[in-house]
Amino acid sequence: MKHAVTLTVNGESCEGEVEPRTLLVHFLREQLGLTGTHVGCVVGECGACSVLVDGALVKSCLMLAVQTHERDVTTIEGLAKDGALHPVQEAFVNGFALQCGFCTPGFVMAAHALLARNPDPTEEEIRHDLSSNLCMCTGYVQIVEAVKHAAERRRQ
Amino acid sequence: MTLDTYVGRSTRSKEAPRHVTGRGHFVDDLVRPRMLHACILRSPYAHARILSVQGDTAAQLPGVKGIVTPADVQRLTRSFKPGRYAAGLRVSIPEYASAIDKVRYVGEPVAIVAADTRARAEDALELIEVDYEALPAVASTEAAASASAPLIYEELGSNVAWQGHVAYGDVDGAFRSADRIVRENLKIHRYSSTPLEPFACLAEHTPERLTIWCNSQSPDVIYDAITEALGIDTVRVIVPDVGGGFGQKIHLIRKYAVLTALMAVKTGRPVKWIEDRSEHMMAGGHSCEQEFDVEAAVKSDGEVLGLRILDTDDVGGSISTLTIHFTNKLNNLFNTYKVQHLRLEGRSVVSNKCPVVPNRGIGKPGMCFVWERIMDRIAQELALDPVEVRRRNLIGVDQFPYTTPNGNIHGSGDYQTLLSKALINVDYDEVRRRQAAGRKNGKLLGVGVVIGVEPGGRNAARDMAIFPESKQMPGAGGVEGAKVKLEKNGSVVFTLGSPSCGQSHETVASQIIADALGVRPERVAMSGTFDSALSPWGVSSSNSGNNFHLYDVGAVHGAANRLRDRICTLAAYILGAEKSALRIEDGVVYADGVSAGKASVTFAELGKVAYANQAQMPVGFEGGLEATYYHSHPHADPLMLPDMHGRVRAQYTFSSAAHAAVVEVDRETGRVRVLRYVIVSDNGTLINPSVVDGQIYGSAAHGISVALGEGFVYGEDGQLLTLTLLDYGKSTTLETPRIEIEHYPVPDPFTTLGQKAAGEGAAIPSPAAIASAVEDALSPLGVKVRHLPLSPERVWQLIRGAQSV
Repeated sequence: MKHAVTLTVNGESCEGEVEPRTLLVHFLREQLGLTGTHVGCVVGECGACSVLVDGALVKSCLMLAVQTHERDVTTIEGLAKDGALHPVQEAFVNGFALQCGFCTPGFVMAAHALLARNPDPTEEEIRHDLSSNLCMCTGYVQIVEAVKHAAERRRQ
Repeated sequence: MTLDTYVGRSTRSKEAPRHVTGRGHFVDDLVRPRMLHACILRSPYAHARILSVQGDTAAQLPGVKGIVTPADVQRLTRSFKPGRYAAGLRVSIPEYASAIDKVRYVGEPVAIVAADTRARAEDALELIEVDYEALPAVASTEAAASASAPLIYEELGSNVAWQGHVAYGDVDGAFRSADRIVRENLKIHRYSSTPLEPFACLAEHTPERLTIWCNSQSPDVIYDAITEALGIDTVRVIVPDVGGGFGQKIHLIRKYAVLTALMAVKTGRPVKWIEDRSEHMMAGGHSCEQEFDVEAAVKSDGEVLGLRILDTDDVGGSISTLTIHFTNKLNNLFNTYKVQHLRLEGRSVVSNKCPVVPNRGIGKPGMCFVWERIMDRIAQELALDPVEVRRRNLIGVDQFPYTTPNGNIHGSGDYQTLLSKALINVDYDEVRRRQAAGRKNGKLLGVGVVIGVEPGGRNAARDMAIFPESKQMPGAGGVEGAKVKLEKNGSVVFTLGSPSCGQSHETVASQIIADALGVRPERVAMSGTFDSALSPWGVSSSNSGNNFHLYDVGAVHGAANRLRDRICTLAAYILGAEKSALRIEDGVVYADGVSAGKASVTFAELGKVAYANQAQMPVGFEGGLEATYYHSHPHADPLMLPDMHGRVRAQYTFSSAAHAAVVEVDRETGRVRVLRYVIVSDNGTLINPSVVDGQIYGSAAHGISVALGEGFVYGEDGQLLTLTLLDYGKSTTLETPRIEIEHYPVPDPFTTLGQKAAGEGAAIPSPAAIASAVEDALSPLGVKVRHLPLSPERVWQLIRGAQSV
C-alpha cells in the first residue's frame, strides 16, 4: 500500500506516492532526482545524506519519506540561489575542503545548520558539531578551516 | 617556479563547484531505461561447502527478472587469470566471480538476483535456498599454519600458501660484525580505508558492446576481467566520479563487475548493483594483518649494520592477492636509511577472513613500522637518543641520487633537515620539559619522531622480477597517455588516461596545460571522466601506485607542449613570422619584431582556421589542433628489469617526511589523545600546494586513526564483528588532530617538473609515529608497544599488565 505525501522541497511544493518503508533519502534520490544527497552507510553513521527538515539537520536515511508529509525539506541542491554559491559552498570550494566529493553535500548541510544556530563557533565547537559526519579523504583540517571562513563571511 | 606560472599556486579547484552543489556524477546517480537492480547473496559462513543453490522459488517472486547461481557462473564464465597480485602462486587455482563449490569467508558472493526494484531484489535473496555443509573456520595465522588445521585450499596442501625471501648484501656477515642483536616482534592489524562510496556497477549489453559504468580505480582490471570472464572483447569501461578509492576499488570489485555484466547479458536489460556498507566491510577487501619478527645487527654507537625480518601475512580467503603486501615492501625496503644488508622472508597464510587488497600504502606502512619501531628499540637498548640513532643511519644529503641495495633510486632528498625541522616545529625540548614536569603528577605525555619515504610511480615489472618463474609478464616500466585539444572557439579541452578518486586531477592538469599553452586555467576544461573508448590509457592508467604525479603529469605536459608546437606552426604561417619569434599570452600568439601586417592571432582565430579554413593553412599542415602524448618515465632505466642479484626499481620517485606526534594517555581509560601532529614533507615541486596539503592531511589522518583503533575484529568462528563504521571505529573530527604541515620540497632531478608523489604518503609513517609516542608516554611504566591498534582497550591492558608486574 502506498501513501500520498505532499511536502515542500527546496522551496517548491511537490507530491509523491511512497511505500511505508521508503526512506527519505531514497524518495529524494529516486523519485525527485535529487541525487546530491548521498548514501554512504544507510544506518545514520556517515552523514552523507544530511538534509534539513523544517530547518533541523536530519540524516535522511533515518527518516521515512511519509514522515515529511506537509513539512519543509532543504537538500544540497537548494542552497545556491540564482547560480550564486551559498557562503558555506564558496568556502568549501576556496578552501579545498573536499576531495572525492561524496561526503561533501552532507558536510555542507551540517556546516550550514551549525552556522544558522551558532554564527561564531570556536574550532572546538565546529569539531564537536561536525563529528556527526565522516570524511575518508581530507583528514578534516581543510573542512574545519572552511567552516571558520564561511562563518567570517556570513558575519560580514 | 616563478609567480607568473600557474604551477606552484593553489589555483581554484575545478572539481569542487559541482560537488558542493550536489552535482557530482557517481554511478548510483545514473539511470538507464528499463534498468534492473541487483543484489548479492553472500555466505553467512566463514568456511563451508556449497552442496546446492536453488533459485526457483525466488524466481517466482513478482518483479524478479534473473537469478545467477554458482552453477551458472561456472557454466557461463571463465575463471580470472591469476595476475600479478598472485605472483608466487605455486598451483593454478581457478577463481571465479562468485564462490563455486566452497565459501572461504563471511560475505563471499554466492548468487545474484536482479529485479525491477532494489527492494524486490532484496526480498528475493531471502528465498534463494542454499544448502551448506559448515566446515571449521580458520581465523588466525597461527591456527591456519598448524598441521591439523582444516585446509582452505585443498589444492595447496597447506594454508601456508607462499613462502619466499629477498636478500641484499652480506646479511650473515653484518650479524657476525655486530656488537649487539636487537630483537622485536611487531604486529599490524586488519583495516581498510573505507571509501565513503561503496562499490558500484551499472552494466548494459547491446548488440554492439558491453558497457559498464563502474567506480573502479584501475579500469584496466575491469576491462580485462570482463574480457577474460565473459569472453566479450567489445568492452567499454566508463568511470564517473568516484567516492574515494585508496586501493579498495582496484581488485575485488572485478568480481562484482563480472556478476553485474553477466546479469545484464542474461536479462538483456541494464543492471545496476550498489554495494551496501556492511557488504563492503565484510567482503570489499581488507588490508593485511602482518606480523614481523625482526632482528637488527647494530654497533654500540647506534649504527645499524643489517636487518633480518620474517613477515607473516594473513591474506584471507583468496589466493588472488597472495603476495601484494610482501612485494610492496620492496618499495620502501630500506626506508630512509643507508643500511646495506637486509633479508626479508615472507609467508602468506590463507585464512577464513576477507581477502586482502591494496590499501593506502599497501605493505609500506608495515615496512616503515618495522624500521621505526626497531630504531626506537635500538635507542633504548643502547641508551641513546632515538632521533640520534636515526640520524646516524640516514642516507646523507650528499649521496643523492642514491641507489638502495635492492635497486630503488632515490632521486633527491634531505632527510636530516626533515628531522631537524620536525623537532623545531613540535618544540621538542619544551615537550620533554613538560613531559618531565607532568610525570611528577602522574601525567602520561609522550612524543614520537619518525621518518619515512613515500614511493611513487610504479614499475610494472616489479613483481615479475621477484618471481621470475611467473609465466605472465605484467609489463615493464609504465605507459600513460593524455590528449589536449584547442577547440574552434579558442578554449582548451583535455582528456586524461586515468580516473580520479578525488585527487584534483582536473585542477592540476589544467595548471600544467595553462602554463604550457599560455592560457588561463579558466579556459581549460576536462572533457569528461575515464572512458576506455576515448581515454588514451596504458598500464599506468590507474588511480593507484601513486602514478598520477609521474605518468599523468608527464603525459599532460607532453601533449600540451606538442599542441603548443602545432599552434605555433599555424600561427607562424598566418603571421608570417618565425616560430622562434612567437610568444603566447592569455590565449593570444604574438609575433615579436614583425613590423608589417598582423602582429598577433588569437586561439579562437586559429581554431577557426584549423577546423574550417584549409586556404589559410600552410601546405602539408594536418587540420585540427589536437595532440596526444603517451608518457613513459625517461629515466626508467637502470634496473627497470631485474638484474641477476634481484635488484629492480619498484617505484621511481621517493617523497619523504618526518612526523612528530605528541600524545597524552589517560591512565584510567587507556584513551590516547593526540595533542599535536607535525609533518615536514618533501614532495618535490608542489604543483598545487593546497591539493598536496589535502593529500597529506588525509593520509596522515588515516594512519593516525588506524593506530588509535580503527580496524576489523573477527570472532574465533570467522564471523566479522565490525560490520558498521561505528563498530569499526573510524575517527571523526573529534579524534583527528589538527595536523600541521611544513613543506620542504627538494625537486626530483628526473621528473617532468621536479614533482614527487603525494597520495599515500603520510599513511606510511603515521602508525609508527603514534606507536612511538604512546610507548614514550608509557615509558615510566616500562611498557613496550609492539602491536597495533592502540585502542583504549589495548592501551588499558598494557598499563594494567605493567602495573601488575
